[in-house]
Amino acid sequence: MAVKFASEEWARQFKDEVNRSSVYKAAAKGWKWPVGLVVEAEPDKNFPESVGIVMDLFDGEARDIKVGPVSEAQKCDFVITAPYTRWKQVATKELDATKGILQGKLKMKGDLPTIVRYTKASQEMTECTTRVPVVWPDAN
Amino acid sequence: MHDAGPGRMARRKLRAKTRAKLVDYADGEPSAFASMLGGLIEANVHGSEAKQRDFDSLAARVGIWVTDIDEGVTLDFKKGSLVVHNGLQPKRSITIRAEADTVMNLSNLKIGLFGMPVYYDEVGRGVALKLLRGRLKIDGLVGNLATLNTVTRIFSVQ
Repeated sequence: MAVKFASEEWARQFKDEVNRSSVYKAAAKGWKWPVGLVVEAEPDKNFPESVGIVMDLFDGEARDIKVGPVSEAQKCDFVITAPYTRWKQVATKELDATKGILQGKLKMKGDLPTIVRYTKASQEMTECTTRVPVVWPDAN
Repeated sequence: MHDAGPGRMARRKLRAKTRAKLVDYADGEPSAFASMLGGLIEANVHGSEAKQRDFDSLAARVGIWVTDIDEGVTLDFKKGSLVVHNGLQPKRSITIRAEADTVMNLSNLKIGLFGMPVYYDEVGRGVALKLLRGRLKIDGLVGNLATLNTVTRIFSVQ
């Protein structure tokens, strides 16, 4: 059943998808830093307030994924920030996350060599988001 | 008692705690790709003495064009410093043209014996296959193989 984007239920299903992925498990071996995603508000898209998503990722496992305030997500070692529409494009495979980062459509903060070392893991993480059926707030 | 004054200290080398700035951007507003490559190279060089030696010895203009986003940069290595330009600039010794994924994979090439990139593991085979299929093109390879290997070593995060 489809869930509301960036809701608690969405976070739970996202976490389950990540933990079901053998590709992610192998590619993220050795990763030990929390990742924050910031989804910036777009009131005209019925997404009125910015949201932070904190992902507790450790050694190929998603230990927890929580939706909360932006300030919490911004405290993470690695933070990816983009407006709501961009995240929707990523989750619906309209925008490849790697390309989005190189084009500056998604803004990234964190140690670059570490991020590049785990490119495959981050790509699979993106794949996992596409497998969660979502009800988008701007859908008619 | 120590004298805190600025006098000479016998046979003691002072280590600068601040990192030297290695990378400059030619454009007032560097593109996201330019900032990312510049940042990556700076972090790599600061993190490894071997990469620092490579960086200090390299004088070359290297272009990188990402075919699926139609964006590129020129990396102007000047023996110990680097100027990153948005877009492809003239007088390049090497130009690498590939999709975004492949460009990222170039940074994931392992470096093996004699400082040569490893092409027999999963990442290396993927890069070699792209080269054979024409999805990774390297202009200026002939005569600049040593430069390409040095650039690959500086790029590599492995």
